[in-house]
Amino acid sequence: MNRTYQAIVVGAGPAGSSAALTMARAGLDVALVERGTFPGEKNMFGGVLHRLPSLEEVFPDFWERAPLERHIVKKSVTFMTGDSSFNTIIEAGSFDRPPYNGYTIFRPRFDRWLAEEAVKAGATLITRATVDDLVWKNDRVAGVSILDRGEISAPVVVAADGVLSFIAKKAGLRQPTFDPGQMAVGVKALIDMPRELIDERFGLVRDQGFANEFVGCTGGVRGGGFLYTNYDSVSVGLVFHLASLKTSNKTPYDLLNEFLEQPQVAKMVRGGRLLEYSAHVIPEGGYDMIPELVGDGILVAGDAAALCNATGLNLEGINLASQSGVLAGKAVVAAHGLGDLSRKGLEVYQRLMNDSYVMKDLKLYRKAPHMLHNDRIYNEYPELMTSFMEYIYRIEGAPKENLTKLFLKSAKEKVGLGNLMADAFSAWRSL
Amino acid sequence: MNIDEIFDFTSFTIDREPHIVLDPQVCVSCDNRSCTNCCPARCYTWSGEEQKMTFVHDGCLECGTCYVVCHKNAFTRWRYPRGGFGVAYRMT
Repeated sequence: MNRTYQAIVVGAGPAGSSAALTMARAGLDVALVERGTFPGEKNMFGGVLHRLPSLEEVFPDFWERAPLERHIVKKSVTFMTGDSSFNTIIEAGSFDRPPYNGYTIFRPRFDRWLAEEAVKAGATLITRATVDDLVWKNDRVAGVSILDRGEISAPVVVAADGVLSFIAKKAGLRQPTFDPGQMAVGVKALIDMPRELIDERFGLVRDQGFANEFVGCTGGVRGGGFLYTNYDSVSVGLVFHLASLKTSNKTPYDLLNEFLEQPQVAKMVRGGRLLEYSAHVIPEGGYDMIPELVGDGILVAGDAAALCNATGLNLEGINLASQSGVLAGKAVVAAHGLGDLSRKGLEVYQRLMNDSYVMKDLKLYRKAPHMLHNDRIYNEYPELMTSFMEYIYRIEGAPKENLTKLFLKSAKEKVGLGNLMADAFSAWRSL
Repeated sequence: MNIDEIFDFTSFTIDREPHIVLDPQVCVSCDNRSCTNCCPARCYTWSGEEQKMTFVHDGCLECGTCYVVCHKNAFTRWRYPRGGFGVAYRMT
């Protein structure tokens, strides 16, 4: 160890590798430090990578080059209650043509590829290296220390060390403790399934993929479910708000098992074989949770900066991480050009971020995390939805009721009309 | 799908040294112990009989849940495993 670089990036995830790639392409001597035996070994997410404009700029043939699974052409939202469910599906022709709107991927393959691209551009990848502290010089960050392996130096460090970012904490940029109300945990089962079976079961051809999100499937805990198709496996999982899970006395794996046994889900995974089980925390606090992004000799990007957009309809993270990494990289390049890597010199990162869709979207959906802290979304509404649809389609030989009247009646019983209006208003204001 | 089996499908390179260490006294006085139900890897077990919290680091998915839900900050150490150790996802 004990080398000096022009920049150090902690964490070879989508944010870190995007930052390292950007800096290396601009000619900087950059170290990309990763605690796994290879980049991606520690990384977990639901399964759908949204379109990455940041990387399409770097790789115009991104979807030819990156190790992607299927592109998503069909998206479905399912409202679930007990043994009933109500589905909405959108399948769009434009989703089936490049630039594709989203793909399923495996993180151990994708993250590894992206880090290798950074290495090809000239970055030095240091794996099996857990950074445990920052090195300071004259009140400025001057490097990092690696557990059992000594120190490396650089006038600037990009903290892309994930959601718990101990680096941002040590730099005094993030809050010292986390609020469970701003955090979620995702658990996932990867299930092996032959490609032909997936194509047939989900109505797909070629490399087409299907993404299904679920509400009302988390045993009363605030959260949701997902099912995504890879080439020859499906990713099925649940996400829980931690404040809600904390008081529920339920466990993530029991709820995942219940979800997999729900009759409609059970049919989708039938015949599959479990390949891998994984879990990770997600920063879901939105705009209000974002730490300070810039310090003296340090920038924060990706999950470490809580850049995650959970609106209830979409859950975006990797695209925001990668974009922030690219912008952090550009800011470091500019600051090096000016020879000023102080907070003032690096401030350009904040400006680039404010002008990008990352901060604009997070600001726009600033109220969404609060709206999603409404238990009715996870219990009463899915129930209202499925029971109403069930009534519409059921033939019983008795005269039907007026549907508007009936809807209002069951809404009154299940939710309360005041709540219904308040929730509609809050959803309208948030989204 | 069988619950007990779900944990057997993740690979690990186990370090001798635990990366998370608890102050057992803090857990005794905890009114909540939500780590026991929130941990997705079932690493935390509370024994009412022995009045003791046990944490097993072998199966830890390094997800961060306990770090977030523990409002008592019972950790005398909470860091990621040394380089090359801990959970090793192959696909996911």
